[in-house]
Amino acid sequence: MSKSAKTNAVATHVMGAEELKALRGSRIRAFIFAIFALAAFAAATANSATIANLSLWVDTIGGTDALISFPVAIVWIGSGLVLGAVAAAQYRLGGKYRWRVGIAIASPLIVTALFTTLLAGTPANLTVLFTGTFNYAGPVAIGALAGIISERSGVLNIAIEGKFLLGALSGAVASSIFGIAIAGPIAGAVIGALVGLLLAILGLRYKVDQIVAGTVINLGAAGITTFIYLRVLQIHSEFNSPVSILPVKIPVLGDLPIVGNLLFTLSPYSYLALILVAFFTYMLFRTRWGLRLRASGEMPAAAGTVGVDVMKLRYRAMILAGALAGLAGSYLALSGTGGFGMGISAGRGFIALAALIFGAWKPWNALGAALIFGFAEAASTLLSILGVGLPPQVLLAVPYVMTIIVVAGLIGRVRGPASAGRPYEQG
Amino acid sequence: MKGLRGVLSSVRLPALSILVALLVGGLVIMFSDLEVLAMIPNNPIGALGEGIGRVGAAYSALLRGAFGNPERIVEAIASGDPVELARAARPITESLLKSIPLMFVGLGVSVAFRSGEFNIGGEGQFLMGGLGATTFAIVLGGAGLPAPIVIFGTVLAGAIFGAAWGFIPGFLKVRAGSSEVITTIMLNYIASLFVFFLLSNWTLIQREDGTQPISKALADYVVIPGILPIPELRLHLGFLVALAAAVAVSWFLFRTTRGFELRTAGLNLAAARYAGMGASSSIVAAMAISGALAGMGGAFEVTGTIKQFSTVVSGGVGFTAIAIALVGGTRPSGVVATALVFGALRNGGGLMGLETSIPIDLLFFIQALVIMFIAAPNLTARIIRLPFRRKSKEAVA
Repeated sequence: MSKSAKTNAVATHVMGAEELKALRGSRIRAFIFAIFALAAFAAATANSATIANLSLWVDTIGGTDALISFPVAIVWIGSGLVLGAVAAAQYRLGGKYRWRVGIAIASPLIVTALFTTLLAGTPANLTVLFTGTFNYAGPVAIGALAGIISERSGVLNIAIEGKFLLGALSGAVASSIFGIAIAGPIAGAVIGALVGLLLAILGLRYKVDQIVAGTVINLGAAGITTFIYLRVLQIHSEFNSPVSILPVKIPVLGDLPIVGNLLFTLSPYSYLALILVAFFTYMLFRTRWGLRLRASGEMPAAAGTVGVDVMKLRYRAMILAGALAGLAGSYLALSGTGGFGMGISAGRGFIALAALIFGAWKPWNALGAALIFGFAEAASTLLSILGVGLPPQVLLAVPYVMTIIVVAGLIGRVRGPASAGRPYEQG
Repeated sequence: MKGLRGVLSSVRLPALSILVALLVGGLVIMFSDLEVLAMIPNNPIGALGEGIGRVGAAYSALLRGAFGNPERIVEAIASGDPVELARAARPITESLLKSIPLMFVGLGVSVAFRSGEFNIGGEGQFLMGGLGATTFAIVLGGAGLPAPIVIFGTVLAGAIFGAAWGFIPGFLKVRAGSSEVITTIMLNYIASLFVFFLLSNWTLIQREDGTQPISKALADYVVIPGILPIPELRLHLGFLVALAAAVAVSWFLFRTTRGFELRTAGLNLAAARYAGMGASSSIVAAMAISGALAGMGGAFEVTGTIKQFSTVVSGGVGFTAIAIALVGGTRPSGVVATALVFGALRNGGGLMGLETSIPIDLLFFIQALVIMFIAAPNLTARIIRLPFRRKSKEAVA
């Protein structure tokens, strides 16, 4: 230690291998950003004549529109300038530069530019786009939150998809039988909690590999829900006519022009997601329960030594996670799309898994990831309705590709709880 | 080698797991039958009888669908008419046909398991294999090359595409430490979307009049030869290749240095690294081999059995394969045996659906139960109260 300090003092320009590597990395990064900046300027010239015709609903849905028109080239130039500044800063400051912030500023501009370029002047309604995003993100964020709670406690959770399916089915059936809206989410949460308990029993008590246990749930849920749908629900549609839980307009705020439609007329699940994310962020990082939960996920032996009942804590976390995931799953069948259908989750449980990884096991970040994925989904729907020539599959693949990029460490490394997936033997 | 007793003891847990799972499946059939449920208040015993009768009818259809109608087989043998005999035996050959993709992907999942990797990506690798095979069948077959070359090229392309899709998670695992569970799940969806995109946009492989994401009829380009003398029996070369692949995998895993290194990496990664075994390359190789096997499965399924490529050809094979690998104890012989059983169930499920309108998806539920029972031997022992003396002691200690 002291030797290297001395070397540095003698010859400040001599750098260690690590530093050299960091410098080379930052040079490469600066070069890549510069190329993107040039590409943005090229796009600006190529689309100099294109005008974006966006609109927002002002008061009633489908009523007056607030029109937003601007040349696409301006957004491209803006993106190019930001990217160029990021490239220059990266080159000047080397490894110390926090480039992710710069990219975070640039990305909305780039996304807007790409989106309006693809539209090529076709009028598009942003209210539809953004409410679609928020409504999609709500249940996904709750699912991701469920995953965060169970993984933070030390149990891997790839079974969100299965819980979504079971939550959707039980929500549809309970809502149909009882005829009141609240029965759906409650039933979803109860069934989800039971599935969480089953996962906990398999993984914690019988020490089944937690990935195998998750596969059991996913496979079994897909099998049994489709089976029940075909055998019972399709014939007796009275069991599959749930009370829909439609978007709710919040009093006063919902009447505000533009933002009333945009932010305050959403599915209750979206508001619930926001509340739950805030609540569990507090619970996880500001309470004794949260500290113990995280400790049992990072180093259960240490937690056990100071008297934390790791097993009990994990059991409870799994039941809670199951309830949340089941609750989120009930949205799928209750959002007014005609009840439960075969494979209705369509991989959304895995998108929730992607959101939790993309969000680095942090609730707010996972909500952000869910919003990004929701935007990709809503944009692909909108573009294909408008008949824009971008294959919808490209946007639909966004969550999966982004997750791989993140776990591959291409944009920063994420690290999950250290002991997630390892069985724990309580002394 | 193990004697008969050894074989019996290694078969006991899997066999019991499948039986118990089928029993639970029977309960599900009974309690999802609203007519039976409606009888319970007035006539509980009658309801029970009716329920058992219906389960019996379902499982009898399942068995007849899987193995043929015994009466008909006896009659056919008595008549000595080869055509009649072939028809009576058709359910059996169809079961074997259904087991081909399961064998390939099950072997693939097993190789990955042996190296300590959990390959949930069989589904995507299978689809990519199908894509490679479809593309090369159309290119090579369309060029009018001799049939053996077309077949070889088609299957090889399937294997390479599958291997590439398996290589990615393996490479990311050793390079960046990314969990293969996450990457393979994501790659499944990417493969499915990619294939969907190509099948709806790439005129080379898309059906001529197509607006739907379906490939051209592949029988025009490549014909995988049947291995039975009667053309009605569709069992094809893929079956023999699958068996050969099982032998090859077995030889590779247990008789070669690379196989030994691969298994060592799976048993104890640190020890393998310490011994200088190149554990990282073992993991990448295992994932690539795993993908190649799944890809070959996709190639044979698409060109030999279905003869048309679409995104639904995989039908959950990647997940069934996990069940097969676990039930078969990740041994090639066990995988082949389990794949035969599961193939028979899948095939029989068709007749069960036809005769009793019980959805074949019940089988996925049953598979999930089988995995659960196999993976939790203590739980199974508890349920059926049979002495699993050695195993339970090991797990408790």
